[in-house]
Amino acid sequence: MDLAVDVKQLVKTYGKVKALDGVDLQVEAGKVFALLGPNGAGKTTLMRILTTQFKPTSGEAFVFGQDVAKKSSQVRKMIGYIPQEMSVWTDVSGYENLLIYAKIYGIPSGQRDATIKDVLKIMGLTEFENNLVKNYSGGMIRRLEIACTMLIKPKLLFLDEPTIGLDPSARKTVWERLTSFKDEYGATIFFNTHYMDEADQHSDQIAIINAGKIVKLGTAKELKQSIGGEVILFSIDNSISEDVLDKVRKLKSVSDIIANHSEIRVVVKNSETTLPKVIDVLRSCGINVSKISITKPTLDDVFLKYAGTRLEAEGRIGDITQVRRMIKRG
Amino acid sequence: MIEFFRNVFAMIELELRRMRHDRTEFYSRAVQPILWLAVYGPIMSTVRAIPTGNIPYIDFITPGVLIQSTTFIAIFYGITIVWERESGILKKLLVTPASRFALVIGRAMASGPRALFQVIIIVPIALLLGVKFIPNPAYFSLALVIIFFSSGGFAAISILIASLLKTRERFMGIGQALTMPLFFASNALYPVKMMPLFLQYISRVNPMSYVVDAVRGLMITGDLSNILIDIVAIAIFDAVMFTLASVNFKKIVE
Repeated sequence: MDLAVDVKQLVKTYGKVKALDGVDLQVEAGKVFALLGPNGAGKTTLMRILTTQFKPTSGEAFVFGQDVAKKSSQVRKMIGYIPQEMSVWTDVSGYENLLIYAKIYGIPSGQRDATIKDVLKIMGLTEFENNLVKNYSGGMIRRLEIACTMLIKPKLLFLDEPTIGLDPSARKTVWERLTSFKDEYGATIFFNTHYMDEADQHSDQIAIINAGKIVKLGTAKELKQSIGGEVILFSIDNSISEDVLDKVRKLKSVSDIIANHSEIRVVVKNSETTLPKVIDVLRSCGINVSKISITKPTLDDVFLKYAGTRLEAEGRIGDITQVRRMIKRG
Repeated sequence: MIEFFRNVFAMIELELRRMRHDRTEFYSRAVQPILWLAVYGPIMSTVRAIPTGNIPYIDFITPGVLIQSTTFIAIFYGITIVWERESGILKKLLVTPASRFALVIGRAMASGPRALFQVIIIVPIALLLGVKFIPNPAYFSLALVIIFFSSGGFAAISILIASLLKTRERFMGIGQALTMPLFFASNALYPVKMMPLFLQYISRVNPMSYVVDAVRGLMITGDLSNILIDIVAIAIFDAVMFTLASVNFKKIVE
């Protein structure tokens, strides 16, 4: 098995804060790998160590067998990287961005134009190549950034929140293009995201990171199965005490319970027979249930269980969108 | 080594392409030097308080005002770096195979074209005001080379500041606090001999003085007695600033 990424007991501390607290992780070559985690879980820190931007406090990380701390220049020749914010110049055209990156990457002058035209076509930007990037939409900017990394046909592409702040159709296009990128070059893709559906649909493997540790690793299917059969979601009016949760947990057919503010998720093998029992317990404890729904486990439930929190995406997206808007204005 | 120069040239090319798309900055940047030359210059020359040898006062300050203008542009060039830090461009550049030195020196030298553009604006205005330049293309070209490389050094200071301060507001503050003292503690507006003693010492370590001296010799007075010292001083200044800025550069994205 060829490993694209191999991380061993990686620790990164900032002063007293442990951003990464002993991360172990392996990603096979040719796979699409998603790293899911709430804010401050260490996703970006991990990616920035893997892309040689700074060194870990302790532990080791390898990209295709090369140590990212010791062989950083070799690693940089193999990888592409798209930061969360934006990595193109807005006051020149899309073509000019690619031209400058082509020169930095050392693509021979005879091949530059053909290579640039090629990646513009794959990313669907040919007709906008001479427009200034500040007039591009968010999705087009992302595609241009992907085009920039494609110039060197990287073996491994790192994407930090690739579709943050994009509207659904732009997200879809970005993923279509990424998929064709992967098919074309057989590259490994490593991305951070907080979009469950994105991890679910597009990745071969998912790791959930929380408080600097990988808490769960597997395919989307495995992760969902690890939760159990079905999830009963109760919306309640008042808050619920630990005692009541314990009583529900003790019921025979309940395999797990996850409480989060006014929502309780009860994981059961068979909802039809268990639901009445759970309702009985809740009623007897004076809990007012306003709504009940039964679902198959989603990655959201998986996340809630292993990370102990929901992905509070909204505020964050707002931030990023604002940053991007500011950047576009210059 | 080839790789190094390729990266430096790519950064300069980027700047030229940017300049082609948006020129408004040059015109707004030209206002201040025009005021110095067209208002301050004539007024001070009627006072005749400043001994400038046998050349008119406006001729004397033209190189000073020119270098002031190019230096300010170079020093505020760091604002681009702060912007690139806020966007993800610097992170992305650090992940390319380009070396840190190539990136920093490339970015610093990219202020060169912007500085030279000031020459194109200020020299014709000076000519209109009756300033007599030495009509020697070799001298003039050497002056341009000196302006180009010295602005690289000043831009490196600004990259260094940018990597320490990290926000626009703080950067603007320091930029302002740095540029005016550089200007007044130099020989741009008056000969060093006129200054109080302690300012003369400061002037001696002020790189701007050496640049003004060299450019004044090459463009106006023809006095090249110090030119070698000037060039060596500018080269040392560049080397030190490039090194400091490169060493600190990784800090900027942490």
